[in-house]
Amino acid sequence: MITAAQQSDWLLHHLSQSAGNLPGRGLAWLENLRREAARSVAQLPVLNRKQESWRYTSIDSLLQQRFITAGADIGGLENLDISRWMLPGLDAYRLVLVNGRCLPSPASSADLPEGVVLGSLRTALATDPDRLSAWFVRNSGRSDNLFTALNSALINDGALLHVGTDVVLDKPIEILHLHLGHERPLLVQPRNLLVLEPGSGVTLVERAIGADSSAAFHNHLTEIYLSAGASLDHYRLQDENQRSHHLCTLFLSQQEQSRYRGTHLSFGGVWARTDCHALLQQPGGECEINGLYTVGDEQLKDIHLRVHHAAPRCTSRERFKGILHGEGRAVFDGHIIVDRGAQGSDAQLRNDNLMLTRSAEVDTKPQLEIYADDVKCSHGTTVGEVDPAQLFYLRSRGIDKAQALSMLSLGFAAEISNGIRLNALRSYLAQRLARKLGGQTDASGMDSGNV
Amino acid sequence: MLSIKELRVSIEQKSILNGLNLEIGSGEVHAIMGPNGSGKSTLSQVLAGREDYLVSGGEVLFDGLDLLALETEERAHAGLFLGMQYPVELPGVNNMTFIRESLNALRRARGEPELDAADFLRRVREQAQLVGLDQALLKRGVNEGFSGGEKKRNEILQMAMLQPKLAILDETDSGLDIDALRVIAGGVNGLRAADRSIIVITHYQRLLDYIEPDRVHVLVGGRIVRSGDKQLALELEQRGYGWLDEAAA
Ligand SMILES: Nc1ncnc2c1ncn2[C@@H]1O[C@H](COP(=O)(O)OP(=O)(O)OP(=O)(O)O)[C@@H](O)[C@H]1O
Ligand SMILES: [Mg+2]
Repeated sequence: MITAAQQSDWLLHHLSQSAGNLPGRGLAWLENLRREAARSVAQLPVLNRKQESWRYTSIDSLLQQRFITAGADIGGLENLDISRWMLPGLDAYRLVLVNGRCLPSPASSADLPEGVVLGSLRTALATDPDRLSAWFVRNSGRSDNLFTALNSALINDGALLHVGTDVVLDKPIEILHLHLGHERPLLVQPRNLLVLEPGSGVTLVERAIGADSSAAFHNHLTEIYLSAGASLDHYRLQDENQRSHHLCTLFLSQQEQSRYRGTHLSFGGVWARTDCHALLQQPGGECEINGLYTVGDEQLKDIHLRVHHAAPRCTSRERFKGILHGEGRAVFDGHIIVDRGAQGSDAQLRNDNLMLTRSAEVDTKPQLEIYADDVKCSHGTTVGEVDPAQLFYLRSRGIDKAQALSMLSLGFAAEISNGIRLNALRSYLAQRLARKLGGQTDASGMDSGNV
Repeated sequence: MLSIKELRVSIEQKSILNGLNLEIGSGEVHAIMGPNGSGKSTLSQVLAGREDYLVSGGEVLFDGLDLLALETEERAHAGLFLGMQYPVELPGVNNMTFIRESLNALRRARGEPELDAADFLRRVREQAQLVGLDQALLKRGVNEGFSGGEKKRNEILQMAMLQPKLAILDETDSGLDIDALRVIAGGVNGLRAADRSIIVITHYQRLLDYIEPDRVHVLVGGRIVRSGDKQLALELEQRGYGWLDEAAA
């Protein structure tokens, strides 16, 4: 057990060793933001398992390691060949971050349409600080736990996307988060900001992958601001190596009639946690969050969703599926809050888990907290095993057990994977899943649209 | 081809097959009939390798192999196919992928190269047409939301694609319209060859009008109580099974 004192010590250590070399000195709003966050780090109660959202999550393995802050220097990485990490077959505008720092724009984003900014937060702090301050002030300052505070206290770089009014992108955007080896484990803390102006529309693919086998702690913080009528189709793929920890905190706020459609795919890492806070701030917003996670030996997946209906007539749909094998562990904590004034809210939450082994474990806990009376809300969770009759059917057709289990798992996941609107990502996912689940299925036919 | 000697099978301490004997030669078509609950599906599932059953005695030779010692998938590799009485649904598992993976698994086991994608596609479409399965159903999840008859046609499609040495069809004709019955008979007759054998389990003489069996067996109380030629099926149709109980007793 890590004590409270050790936890504070861990945080302060990382705070102090990193604070020296940050951009945007002299920007009062930014200095304030960092200062407030640093104060929170010192003042917030330490994380422990008495807190509901950390109840099933031990962070001891994380806190036992000391990380060095990445990102002070990306010299020498300009010529890094990133093509092998790009999603195969996806024609996209791209931005690449290595160890939390943006690489100078690859050629593919040179031809971005007018009204779109895709680039480095750090660069924007130098060139366009006023606009940034407006967005940050509007949306930020939520250093509600030690990790978000740690990120805010050390804002350095991250992905910045701004899409102007009524601009609808013709191609998806791919943002790659890579970490590249150091002798010592790295602390990687991108601060990402996505702002969609009224009526704009984007498909975004974010992929967090370890580019080698080095250890890292990813502490991502992403803020998404969807203006009236804006629409974001957001795919996130988390797939770091087994030595890495990954925490992604996502703050989403939605204005009138905006649409968010998230697909969160999580496969890698020893500990991977998603904290997703969606705020439906104005009437008529639609928020759909789909997810698929796999967990095996020595892995913990930790999904926390807070969907807050703060305005009338908004719709939310959360649908997460988990495939657990070996001694994998997962936590699903989905929480819908409907404010008193949010009449006509329509919210649904589902979590289904397929247990491939008896030794895997999941804690799933949906919660509805409803203060309005005219609402439609439901939630449901299931935890099930493979049906022996299904397994027998496949094996009786000559398919060996490992492959049969993999095919059934892919079938279980199909509800999520078939909702992916990018062919390239869908086939990547099918192969990735088949590989992780140990069958040799070439599952490219998984999606019925392809055959 | 298939030789079953004194097979004893139970499930949850209830004995279902009680010393069953059956010999099927190459190129032969045999029909098995018998009352509900007499053990016909149990026999077919045990042959195909369903693990829930306990085999407490007897032996089964399939093409000289000790069938009961093989894993379920190895039995398929050896050329056994079971068309199930109640084909299960595999939600989200694409039907076409399923059939392709089965076929390739059999080919790998025989040391043959996997079938080229275009070849496969052409063949599966052709066969689907022959068995009267709507092409759209190839793209759905396996049996997912299929009607009873569509599920049975899908079984016949798999049989036609996999070209087994021994096909066991467990009530593939139940719940089918007359056209479908012809389709199934067509599938079975198309498979007939000197080096293949077929077992059809059925309650209805009508199927046997289309598929002329070489032998007809009656399974009662976990044993074959009578065997004969196709005349036996006609007799059963008229007289039911009651007279056999007495004969067996
Ligand atoms: N899983 C099981 N648990 C308990 N009893 C079972 C189980 N499976 C089969 N049985 C029993 O075994 C007996 C034989 O069943 P089986 O399905 O083999 O009959 P059948 O001859 O195929 O009948 P039908 O003509 O109705 O299809 C029945 O009494 C059935 O209830
Ligand atoms: Mg039966």
